[in-house]
Amino acid sequence: MITLSHYLALGAILFIIGMFGVLTRRNAIGILMSIELMLNAVNLNFVAFSRYLPPGALTGQVFAIFVITVAAAEAAVGLAIVLGLFRNFRTVNVDEINLMKW
Amino acid sequence: MEITLPPVDLGAITPELIVTGTALVILLVDLFLPRDRKTPLAYLSLLGLVLAFAASLPLWGRARYAFKESISLDPFSLFFSSLFLLIAALTILISTNYLEREEIHRGEYYALLLFATLGMMLLAKGMDLVVLFLGLETLSISLYTLAGFMRARLRSNESALKYLLLGAFASGFLLYGIAFLYGATGTTNLKKVAVFLGKGAPLSDPFLFIGAGLLIVGFGFKVATVPFHMWAPDVYEGAPTSVTAFMIAGTKAAAFSAFLRIFLYSLAPLKPNWSAVLWVLAVLTMTLGNVVAIAQQNIKRMLAYSSIAHAGYILVAVVAGGELGGSSILFYLLAYALMNLGAFAVVILLGQKGEENLNLPDYAGVGYRHPLPALAMAIFMFSLAGIPPTAGFMGKFYVFSAAVKAGYIGLAIIGVLNSVVSVFFYLRVTVMMYMREPRAEVGPIYTSPALAAALVIAVWGTLQLGLFPGRLLELALRSIRPLLG
Amino acid sequence: MSIELPVFYFLAAITIGAALIVVLGRNIVHCAFSLVLAFFGVAGLYVLLDAEFLAAVQVLIYVGGITILLLFAIMLTSRASGPGVRILNEQLGLSALIAGGLFFLLIYALWKGIPALAIKVPTQANVPTIGRVLMTSYVLPFEVASVLLLAALVGALILARKEKD
Repeated sequence: MITLSHYLALGAILFIIGMFGVLTRRNAIGILMSIELMLNAVNLNFVAFSRYLPPGALTGQVFAIFVITVAAAEAAVGLAIVLGLFRNFRTVNVDEINLMKW
Repeated sequence: MEITLPPVDLGAITPELIVTGTALVILLVDLFLPRDRKTPLAYLSLLGLVLAFAASLPLWGRARYAFKESISLDPFSLFFSSLFLLIAALTILISTNYLEREEIHRGEYYALLLFATLGMMLLAKGMDLVVLFLGLETLSISLYTLAGFMRARLRSNESALKYLLLGAFASGFLLYGIAFLYGATGTTNLKKVAVFLGKGAPLSDPFLFIGAGLLIVGFGFKVATVPFHMWAPDVYEGAPTSVTAFMIAGTKAAAFSAFLRIFLYSLAPLKPNWSAVLWVLAVLTMTLGNVVAIAQQNIKRMLAYSSIAHAGYILVAVVAGGELGGSSILFYLLAYALMNLGAFAVVILLGQKGEENLNLPDYAGVGYRHPLPALAMAIFMFSLAGIPPTAGFMGKFYVFSAAVKAGYIGLAIIGVLNSVVSVFFYLRVTVMMYMREPRAEVGPIYTSPALAAALVIAVWGTLQLGLFPGRLLELALRSIRPLLG
Repeated sequence: MSIELPVFYFLAAITIGAALIVVLGRNIVHCAFSLVLAFFGVAGLYVLLDAEFLAAVQVLIYVGGITILLLFAIMLTSRASGPGVRILNEQLGLSALIAGGLFFLLIYALWKGIPALAIKVPTQANVPTIGRVLMTSYVLPFEVASVLLLAALVGALILARKEKD
């Protein structure tokens, strides 16, 4: 029998993997991909809660739809920034981009 | 199949509709304006902001909910909406000159600024976490673009990238927190959350703690509290100066408005738990912000660290809570916005093309060459340092006395000590302006009626709040009450 | 015992494995493709959770939209990431520590907090209900999302287009 815990544990694992990626990847596109993993983990939580919680009403699913929308918008702007940056810097590795002290 | 449409109460969102409409009109009109004549768009956006403010006045009358309780029209949200409109208007006043000087005067700037303002207004009004989330993202996405608006400048690119990556990372935490909160309470409506927790639901539910903790991390990133502040100095220094001013004054206030609604209102039963965490964050934030600000040579970067420190003072008031703490936050945020926007107006005025003339030594002797801007800057620095008779002094006074009355005497002492430290680097600017010989000749400064108007408003506001704080405090008290029930 | 549990473990294994490749992979193109796999895994889990509409949205937007965007960006900015080029920065230890810490915190909370809900709420027909909810209870967020997308559109255009002068 699958329980809510199964989904939540999977969500936690996915979130942690994504978070680790954000903290360690050097490539800005790699970081964006890791952030997408985190958002997927969150959505998994939303949908699972929405499925198992009594007053369902699909709130969780609707929230997930908005998260996906925002993720797409963020990815579009993010990649536009990465492209602009590449034109100026010739690199997409975030730790090579260090004009200002961290 | 039958669909019953809910009553669509457009009256409740008139100010937001006006702001959005103005942004759309600007995008359209922009197409017909020649490249070097974009100033009419600034006046158009100012008009929109004034109209939106006028439209929000009739809403003060009677608190109510709209759109199935997903937004709330209470004095709290209206106070913040007005604050955001003021911040946006001042930002536009200080922008035109600057954008022309840096040759980035594009129509989209104003549209994005208005979209960001819309996001902030929704953050203040949102009663449902869905609305809060979308408001926050509308604000953030507009700001990512504005931070990178000087496309030919590497620092602006870098600023945009860092802001986006950290912003999206923070959104991840925020959303995960919202998910757990939803899991623990079964709703994303803040009013229902408050009712659920108020009914004596089991407050020991680990989901609640994890949710609240993740929300603190997410908001911590957004308002740049230590240890989630790493992005702030770089982003604030690299972004165009007018955008930095908007971010420092506006984003912080907007994030705090949502934070207060969630924590002081919905999660109030958990206060003993989260206030301990915020206590630590407040101390770290104040101390690190002030100490590191001492070492800064670049004025923008110094103001960035100063903004981190001020977030710490506001957290002190959040920890104190209650009517006094809550109202002092509202007072402080207005004072903070005025003095920061004013200081940035002077920074813009004295700056030179290519983001030059921003270092502390560049301000040597300014007091004699440009007496009026220097006087204004001195007032803002006094206010930021918390020296009477300025708004900053009254703000800090209310914050720390709220902390003392709530029994957080240690926290108040640490805050006062921090203020004393901060006097050093704020006054250093004044000393530089009045007591050092001017350096080599720099180019002339260009002023405009708009910039002058912004300066006058900021100076007037800073002194007004410092000398006659009573009426605003009254308003702040009235505005915080709906949150405390 | 139903077929559901093995299916869950299968999808979970795919998702986690793909996610690990995304984060640790050396070749960024491989990472992008295994991200697709992870998205498909999550979409499968949505089906398991009776959220068919969301599964479709997931495939359309994530797989069809975001990944393509990512691949474009990778192609346009590609620079050899062959052997020897470091892909991870030097905060490895600290990051592992933070990630591990948060992980144990989460697992602890799940273990303590879960009422092990195994009872699913009876579902309603998925697509019509979502459509109705979006147009009634959530009509304001729905409209805000459209403004947000417009802001993103304007922003992406400004940042990505070439300087004319």
